[in-house]
Amino acid sequence: MVIAGLDIGSVFSRAVVMEENAVVSMTLRPTGGNFRKAVAGLWRDIRTMRIDPLDIDVMGACGLGATFIDRPFMKIAELSCLSRGVHFILPDIRSIIEVGNQYSRVVRINADGKVTDSMASEKCAAGSGRILQVIANVLGIGLEEFGPLSEQAGRPAKFTTNCAVFLETEAISRVAEGIPVPDIIGGLHHTLTAKIAGMVKRLKISGDCAMTGGGAMDSGLTRTIESEVGLRLHVPEDFMLASAIGAALIAAERDKAAVAEDAMASLQ
Amino acid sequence: MFCAGIDIGSTITKIVIANRNEVLASVVQRTGAQHRRRAHRVMEDALTQAGLATSDLDYIVATGYGRINVPFADAQITEITCHMRGVSWLDPDVRTIIDIGGQDCKGIKVKDGRLDDFIMNDKCAAGTGRFFEIIAKVLGIDLEEIGPLSLTSKNPAEISNLCTVFAEQEALSRLSEGVPIADVAAGIHRANASRIYGMVRKIKIEETVAITGGGAKNSGLCHSLQERLQLPVFIPPEPLITGALGAALIAGEKAARVGGPGLAALKKHRRWDAATFFSDSATQAAMQPTNSQHSHMG
Repeated sequence: MVIAGLDIGSVFSRAVVMEENAVVSMTLRPTGGNFRKAVAGLWRDIRTMRIDPLDIDVMGACGLGATFIDRPFMKIAELSCLSRGVHFILPDIRSIIEVGNQYSRVVRINADGKVTDSMASEKCAAGSGRILQVIANVLGIGLEEFGPLSEQAGRPAKFTTNCAVFLETEAISRVAEGIPVPDIIGGLHHTLTAKIAGMVKRLKISGDCAMTGGGAMDSGLTRTIESEVGLRLHVPEDFMLASAIGAALIAAERDKAAVAEDAMASLQ
Repeated sequence: MFCAGIDIGSTITKIVIANRNEVLASVVQRTGAQHRRRAHRVMEDALTQAGLATSDLDYIVATGYGRINVPFADAQITEITCHMRGVSWLDPDVRTIIDIGGQDCKGIKVKDGRLDDFIMNDKCAAGTGRFFEIIAKVLGIDLEEIGPLSLTSKNPAEISNLCTVFAEQEALSRLSEGVPIADVAAGIHRANASRIYGMVRKIKIEETVAITGGGAKNSGLCHSLQERLQLPVFIPPEPLITGALGAALIAGEKAARVGGPGLAALKKHRRWDAATFFSDSATQAAMQPTNSQHSHMG
């Protein structure tokens, strides 16, 4: 059986195709503000890997733009997808920190990869990975440069606000004051970490923890979380695809259950 | 007796020069990055308007978030006191003031002409002028247009996000769904009005309610706020300058208390420094050495 999982996020769109519980093909592309185009792009990517989208038996999807998918699919809750996907990649992990563009979330999972507890910073962009992108734009550098640059931070800059809008203003002021870029990034990591630490403490998480979402690209952020919150963070190789993998696996399980139910019904 | 009140806000600087209870001049300019330079600039313009010289001013009160950057001020007073004083002078019946600034939003309660209670949001951009600046940009219109445009809407869009960043995204996706700009603007105003109302409600809103600050210049926001409040609202004819007006009035009182000889001593020690450099380039040059003093103004 060929199964597929799509995760159409606000910044990145991803697709994985799986067979026999193994990923056979995966693709990641920027959403670029147009969900429909992003989905079409994913199909093109899949075809170039010599897979015909028509051969996909079951498809699961999650993410802000999932409703724009133009083929039959099962809509699956994001949180379930993330948990199931991380569980597939790192079976021993029981907690996850995801720093995404829309919000940051902290999740506890059980031995089956099911959610037991979770928290998210979903009311506003404070504490989300968005602020990394906002400041990256102010500094005119890419997010992937944050990690290496923050290693040179001497005295991290002080920020007085969590609000993404006001943080942007403060970052501009700090630049104008002549504070070095590494210190500004270092200060930002502290601000974001403080917000995440609050959620980690409330869920009583310690020890090993997975880190996913675009924020996991920033090694400076993971380092700051590790040292300030006292966690051992594991960033899976395919951390950007975890939710897509989870979507595929959950869709396949639900399909199997539905088929079994149908069989039972026809027997009666 | 000539007195001045200068209000350096995060976005706009205002000044009022008064002779006892008569307003002689008022000037409103964008603050920009250099507070001191702006302070001198508005002072120069207001003095010209009033036909006065620096030496004519008996007392100067500075207020607003940049108030410590006015070297020639004789006293610094918080904007909450000044707003209350200015609004009460314009309409003594006002009990609740909603001040919507460029980067903050305040609720002020007045009782018997004195400050009774206040509440403030300067932590989050929602419900502040900044929110409207960002959304106007998304909608591709000028900030001045957003209010009147929203009033033409018959079917305000549902905007569920209060976070500026998310609301920006939500506005974009409403537009891509084909929702008219006016409906998106109206939805934005409703969302902000309920956010502001929710905050000010905590200090118990009483009649009459005054709306001041840049937000009072937004007819759409005033309309949405009035819908929520269900109370008569007083909007000063010049809602931006109530803080500066209050500062000028307080300056008048202080001058009367200090009296002649004291005022002469004050005047002698007043630091005009760069204020005498009235040309732009000269002011800029004069401001160069003091640049470092701006740094703590975040």
